[in-house]
Amino acid sequence: MSLEQLNANKFEEIIYDNLEACLVIFSRKACHVCKDVVPVLEELQPQYRDRFGFYYVDVEEDKNLFQRFSLKGVPQILFFKEGEYQAKLAGAVDEDQVIDKIEEVLES
Amino acid sequence: MGDVTYDLIIIGGGPAGLAAAIYGGRAKLRTLVINKGTVGGLVNTTREIVNYPGYGQISGPDLMKDFKKHADIFGVEFSRDEVVSVNFYQDDKIICTKKKKKYLAKAVIIACGSEPRLLNIPGEKRLQGSGVAYCATCDAEFFEGEDVVVIGSGDQAIEEGMYITKFARQVTVIVLHDEGVLDCNKVSAERAFQNEKMEFVWNSTIEEVLGEANVVGVKIKNLKTGRSSELACQGVFFFVGMIPSTHFLKESGIGMDKSGYIPVNDLMETDLEGVYAVGDNRVKYLRQVVSAAGDGATAAVAAERYIEELNAFSTSVLKSDKKVLLLFFNALNNESLEFSTLIEEANQELAELYKVVKIDTATKKNLAQKYDVKIVPSVVVLDRGQEIKRLDNSMDKEKLKAQLR
Repeated sequence: MSLEQLNANKFEEIIYDNLEACLVIFSRKACHVCKDVVPVLEELQPQYRDRFGFYYVDVEEDKNLFQRFSLKGVPQILFFKEGEYQAKLAGAVDEDQVIDKIEEVLES
Repeated sequence: MGDVTYDLIIIGGGPAGLAAAIYGGRAKLRTLVINKGTVGGLVNTTREIVNYPGYGQISGPDLMKDFKKHADIFGVEFSRDEVVSVNFYQDDKIICTKKKKKYLAKAVIIACGSEPRLLNIPGEKRLQGSGVAYCATCDAEFFEGEDVVVIGSGDQAIEEGMYITKFARQVTVIVLHDEGVLDCNKVSAERAFQNEKMEFVWNSTIEEVLGEANVVGVKIKNLKTGRSSELACQGVFFFVGMIPSTHFLKESGIGMDKSGYIPVNDLMETDLEGVYAVGDNRVKYLRQVVSAAGDGATAAVAAERYIEELNAFSTSVLKSDKKVLLLFFNALNNESLEFSTLIEEANQELAELYKVVKIDTATKKNLAQKYDVKIVPSVVVLDRGQEIKRLDNSMDKEKLKAQLR
């Protein structure tokens, strides 16, 4: 299943109003590493249904979002919980790294 | 989970793997490509390809989409998965993947390509995504109006460096060699020297990436003077060459050189029977899309013949009701041709007690190796696939018949 894409408003709502525990991948269409990482998330998503959210931000469409987190590259996966930024993963990460980080965030 | 059996499994979906897949599919082999990420491999990182015949100018991803489409037409199957271990020491080769699948294949083509080398210097890993980058297409834009350092002087370093100048205020290239010497092609070198935003630091390398949360600079070491200096920057792009992605084969027993490249012969055969290596992961002179595709075609045809041999041998020899005389000969060797006639005659006079199967050692090296045949002519006698004896190669028909009774 493809990841739900967030714009700035939706980002506010999910992270800061709903306080959802979730990850957001910052990606762009022309990035080949992103193309490898996004499917990893898409496959993991069903395992975490109702427990952990999976979202997508296109940095070309929503520049202000990546500027806000002063990101210097894609892909980057940012993890949030209770309205707070928790951690990030950069570059070509694999399934195990994502799972570890999710568990870490859920347990914290 | 049950095993899945294929004729041909190709590990890697770059141009070499996809070309092999096209040939495999067209030869009606049941063919599977196991590929880790997006199909296309490293070619996907190339914005512009201008030297693939038939395409004046095309982007890497677009060219690879065409390759993939072509393979689809011939019924090739694809699996997005990663090979974690292999066992190549039997007729049915075993491949295990990260998704816990176990595949069997009669022949395997290794086309897993190569990946960017890391320098493994302090700060490199920690600051990845926070200023340390490996892909200009992906990340150059994040450095709008800032200072960027590029490490390396090959085609990729210089071409990507020039792309970064579209966004960055300045791009400083750190080069190992003496002033004026770049590893890249001449056209790119000239363009780079003329680019006002490009600066060069010669005879140098990088010792450390500096910064806490984000990159703030690099520590440069001059290899001639041994002196270190710091240069402020917000981004560092590493283009320090490639390493073959063959680490998962370390335990497989396949021959590799010290860097991990796999040596092959003209048929792309490795030192293991039925296993081939193509494209960037093999020892070779030119690593381009066109040469990778050529490798793939060669290996797939070699694999097809190998599989055919394997199948034919299984039905005509190993499952034969009659005893079999495996006659190893060489068409260039007269004695072995005469001997072949003699054997046929002897067998006829014995009321065709045996089935005679002739094997040309020039083309069927695998079988010669399997039965440890070093000279021609040689005759191995088989009963239901089992060797029962070897003949003395007498040119006297009666002596031969005596051995066969």
